[in-house]
Amino acid sequence: MSKRLFYSIGLLSASIIAFQLILMHILSIMQWNHFAYMIISVALLGFGASGTLLALKSKWMISRIRVMLPLLMILCGLTMSSILALSEIIFGTFDSYLIFVDRDQLYSLVLTYLAFFIPFFIGALAIGLIYVAYVKKIGSLYFADLFGSGIGGLASLLLFWTFFPSQLPAVIAVFPVMAGILLIPREKKGIFTVISVASLALPLVLYFNPPELKLSEFKSISKALDLPDAEIVKERTSPYGHIQVVRSKSLRYAPGLSMRFKGEVPVRDVIYCNGDWFGPVVSWSREDTTHFLDYTTNALPYVINKPERVMVTNSGTGLFVAHSIVKGASSVTAVEQNRVAVDLLKNELAPDIDSLFSHESVILEKLQPRSYLLSDTSSYDLIILPTIETFGGTSGIHALNEQYLLTQEAFMDMWDRLTEKGMISITTWMDYPARNTLKVLGTLMNTLRSTDVVNPEEHLLALRGWGTVTFVLKKKPVTDAQIEKIREFSSSMYFDPLFLPGITKEERAEYNMLQDDKFFELADNIVESEEEAEKLYSEYDFNIRPATDNRPYFSQFLKWNRLSYLTEFYGASTVPFLEIGYLVVGITFIQITLAAVVLIILPLFFIGWGGGYRAFTVLHFSGLGLGFMFVEIVLIQRFILYFGSPIYAAAAVLSAMLICSGAGSYYSSRLQGSHKEIVKISGAVIVFILLYGIFLTEIILSTITFPMLLKIIFSIGLIAPLAFFMGMPFPLGLRTLSVQNETLVPWAWGINGCLSVISTALALIIAVEAGFFWVMVLAAIAYGITLLANYAKS
Amino acid sequence: MKKPYLIIPAALLILSAVSVFNVQAQDYRSQRETMVRTQIRARGINHGPTIKAMRNVERHLFVPAVRRNRAYEDNPLPIGHGQTISQPFIVAYMTQLVNPGAGDKVLEIGTGSGYQAAILAEIVDEVYTIEIIAELGESAQKLLKELNYDNLEVKIGDGYYGWKEHAPFDAIVVTAAAEYIPPPLVEQLKDGGKMVIPVGSPFMVQNLMLVEKKGERITTRSIMPVTFVPFTRKE
Repeated sequence: MSKRLFYSIGLLSASIIAFQLILMHILSIMQWNHFAYMIISVALLGFGASGTLLALKSKWMISRIRVMLPLLMILCGLTMSSILALSEIIFGTFDSYLIFVDRDQLYSLVLTYLAFFIPFFIGALAIGLIYVAYVKKIGSLYFADLFGSGIGGLASLLLFWTFFPSQLPAVIAVFPVMAGILLIPREKKGIFTVISVASLALPLVLYFNPPELKLSEFKSISKALDLPDAEIVKERTSPYGHIQVVRSKSLRYAPGLSMRFKGEVPVRDVIYCNGDWFGPVVSWSREDTTHFLDYTTNALPYVINKPERVMVTNSGTGLFVAHSIVKGASSVTAVEQNRVAVDLLKNELAPDIDSLFSHESVILEKLQPRSYLLSDTSSYDLIILPTIETFGGTSGIHALNEQYLLTQEAFMDMWDRLTEKGMISITTWMDYPARNTLKVLGTLMNTLRSTDVVNPEEHLLALRGWGTVTFVLKKKPVTDAQIEKIREFSSSMYFDPLFLPGITKEERAEYNMLQDDKFFELADNIVESEEEAEKLYSEYDFNIRPATDNRPYFSQFLKWNRLSYLTEFYGASTVPFLEIGYLVVGITFIQITLAAVVLIILPLFFIGWGGGYRAFTVLHFSGLGLGFMFVEIVLIQRFILYFGSPIYAAAAVLSAMLICSGAGSYYSSRLQGSHKEIVKISGAVIVFILLYGIFLTEIILSTITFPMLLKIIFSIGLIAPLAFFMGMPFPLGLRTLSVQNETLVPWAWGINGCLSVISTALALIIAVEAGFFWVMVLAAIAYGITLLANYAKS
Repeated sequence: MKKPYLIIPAALLILSAVSVFNVQAQDYRSQRETMVRTQIRARGINHGPTIKAMRNVERHLFVPAVRRNRAYEDNPLPIGHGQTISQPFIVAYMTQLVNPGAGDKVLEIGTGSGYQAAILAEIVDEVYTIEIIAELGESAQKLLKELNYDNLEVKIGDGYYGWKEHAPFDAIVVTAAAEYIPPPLVEQLKDGGKMVIPVGSPFMVQNLMLVEKKGERITTRSIMPVTFVPFTRKE
C-alpha cells in the first residue's frame, strides 16, 4: 500500500469536514442556523448510506478499487463545487420560513436534502471502501482520516477569512480532486488526465463566476434591501460571519420609542451578520446631553443614578456605549466578540459613529462577555446586557444557542462585579405569550435570593413601555428620592412602572394597558416567593425556568409535554413560529433516526440476520458513534466559555480531538486488537469522561485568567489523553471484525456513520432537557456499551 | 362556407370557459361565506360594516395566483418581498378595533396586497394607503383601480412621514409593524383617533396594539387575542 493512499485519505477527509463547515456557513446565510443544521445532519447520513452500499456491493467495488477510488474522489470534488449552483435552482422556490405553511416546500426540502447528501455519500464511500479493502492497516488509515479532518477544521477557518462564501465550495472542491489524482492508476493515466483537467476546470469557472446566494426573503437583510435605494456599502467575510453594511434612506432604529418623542428618528446604516440584524451604525454627539435612548425604557438606570464606570456586554455597534458617554460615564468597557464587526466600526466606519470606539472613555474588549466577566476583576456602577429578543420575536430561532451571559451563574458574576451604587440593567421586548420577560424576571429574582439581600423587592425595579420592559437590579435598596424620580420619568414618557416599592395596581397600567392582568399575576408569582416561582415554572406552558451554565439555553421555551396542547390552542401551523429552533432539532432527530434504522437494517436482508458477530458489531460501533460525538459536543461547549470565542473554541477542540484521536488510532496498530485490550481502553475512556464531567467546569473556571497561549496549551493537554484513548476502539473493533467476520466491516462503518449523526441531535436534546453533565454521563454509558460488547466476547 | 363549422367549437369553448369561471366564482363566494362564518363571526367579530366588507371583498384576487386556492384558509399567505396578506381574522380584527364608519378618513401604512385597504374602502369615505416597496405598491394600485375603489389612493413612499396633505385621520392602520411608532403618525392622528399596529412575525401569534389619542394624552392597549379567543381551527 503506497503512501499516496494516506495522503489521499487525509486530503479527502480534510475537504469533507471543511465542506461541512462551509455548507453550514452558507446555509446559515441563505436560511437560518437551525435549518442549516437540519439539512446538513441529513446530508451527513451519506456516511451511513455509504456503509449500507458497501455492505451490499463491497466485493464488486474492491475488485475495481484502482479505478473506483480516484473516480469517487474526483466525483466528490465535482459535486462539492457544483452543489451550490444546483441548489440555486432548488432554493429558487425553497424557503425554510414557509415550510410549515406551504406543503409544496416539503418537496423542495427533500430535493435539498438529496442535493447536499450526494457529496458526503460519495466521499464517505471512498473512505469506507479504503477501510474495507485495507482493514489490516486500519490503525494508520484511520489516523490519516482523523488527522486530515483535524487539519480540515483549522483550514476552513483560514478559508473563511480569505474567500467569499459563494466561492468557498469551488475552493474546497479542488482538494478531493487532488486526492483522486494521487491515486490514478498508471494504466488509466490517459483517460484520467482528461477527467482530472475537466474536474479542475469546473471549480475554476465557479470560483470566478460564483453562484449568487439567494437569501430567504424573510431574512432581515432581504427586507432592508427591498427598501428604496438600498445598497450594500461594505462587506467583510470571516469565520465571525458574513458582515454587510446596508444603507437606505428609510432605515431607522429607535426601539420602543416613547410617544412623547417629537423629533425626527434619524436614518441609519445597519450592519447585518449572515443576513441577520447585528446593529445600527449610530452617530452621536459629545456635546449632547440627551440621546434618543433617553426616550426609551433603557434610560431607567440613568434616571436612578449617574453611573461613572459602565460595562456594556455584547456591545454590538455601540448604541448603549454612546448612550453611557452622553449620560456622563467616565469609563465604558465595551465587550463584543465579533472582532470583524468591531474592527470595521473602529476603522472604516469610524466617521459614521464619531470614532466611538476610539473615545478616551471607551475600553474595547473583543471577547465573549461571560468569559470576560470571569477573567475580569474590575467593579462597575452599571452593567448593561443586550436587549433580549427582537421586535416581534425570533420564534425561537436562537433556542439552541448557548447564551452563557444569561445564565444564573452569569448574573451572580455580574452582581459580584457591582460597586455599592451598582446596577445591572436588562431590557426585553414584550412577547406574547410571555416568555422572555418572565424568564428574565425569574433569573433576576434567583440572583437576589442567592445574595444576602434582606428584602429583594427593594432591589428590583422595572419599567414598561408600549413594547419593552427594562429591569434594573440594584445593589443597594432603592431610596424614596429615586422612587420619586422613576415615577416622574415614567409619567413624562407615557411608561408604566412594573416593579417599584409601594406600587399600586392602577399605576402599573396607566398608559400602556394590557388586555387583562394575567401578565402581572405571573410576574408577581415569580417575585412573591421561591415556592410560587417553582410552581409557575412547572405549570406554565413554556419553559421559563432560569438558564444555568449546565443548561445555557435561555431562549429555549418549548416543553415537549405541552406541544399537543399548544398545537390545539394556537394551531398546528402557528406553533412552529412560536418555538421553531428546538422543534427543528426534534424533527431532525426523528428524521435521521428513522433513516438510520433503515440504513442499518437494510444490509441484513442481504448478509443475513443471525450470528457471526452481528450483535457485537451493532453494540460496539453504536457505542462509539454515540459516545465520541457526545464528548466532542460537550467539550466544544465548555471551551467556548474558556476561550471566549465560539468559532475558535470549536476549531481548537475539534482539531485537537481529531488529531489526538488520530494519534491513538496510529498507536493502536501496535496492539494486538483483542477484546480484552478494547475492554481496558474503553474502561479508561469511561473513567476520563466521568472525571471530565465532574471536574472540567471547575478546572476551566480556575484557569480562565491564564494568558491565551497558556490556555491553548493547557486545553490541548486536557483534551489529549481522553482523545488519545478514544481514537483506539474504532480501528481495533474493525480489525477484530475483519478477523471474525469480514463481511461485517462495511456494515460497521455504516453503523458508526449513522450513530454519529444521530448523536449530535440527541446530545443537543439531552443538553437542553437535562444539562451537559448528563450528556457526559450518557457518553460514559455509550462507551460502557462498547466495553460490555467486548467483555462478552473476551 | 367553412366558417359556421368553426363557430360551433369556438362557442362551445367560450361557453365552457364561462361555465368554469362561473363555477370558480361561485366556489370562491361560498368559501368567502364560510370564512366569514367560521373565522370571523364565530370568533367574536360583530362590527356590521367589517363583516359586510369581509363578505364583499374578493380576497382571492389579492393572493398570488399560485396560492389562490388557499386564499380563504385560516392563515396568512406570502405575497413576495417577505410580506404577507394577513390571516382573514387579523384583517377583520384590526378593522373592528379602529371602529371605522361612513364619513371617516383612514390612513394605512403598508399597502402590501391591498386587501386591508379594500376592506377599509368598503366602509369609510376616504382611504389613503402608503407602500414602500414599489413593486407591491404598483401591483396593489393596479388591482384596486380595476376593482373601482375610487375612494382610495395609493402612494409609493416611506410610511414614516404619513400623508400630511390629507391629515388628520380618524384612524391609522399600520399593517407592517415597526420597532417604533413614527412621531409624524401620532401627530397626524385626530384628537380621539385610533391607531392599530400588529406586533409579531407574520406567521406568529400576533399581538395587536391599539393607540388612542385624547388631547395630549396618548395611551396604548395591548390586545392579546390568544388569551380570550384562540384563532385556530378547533372545530
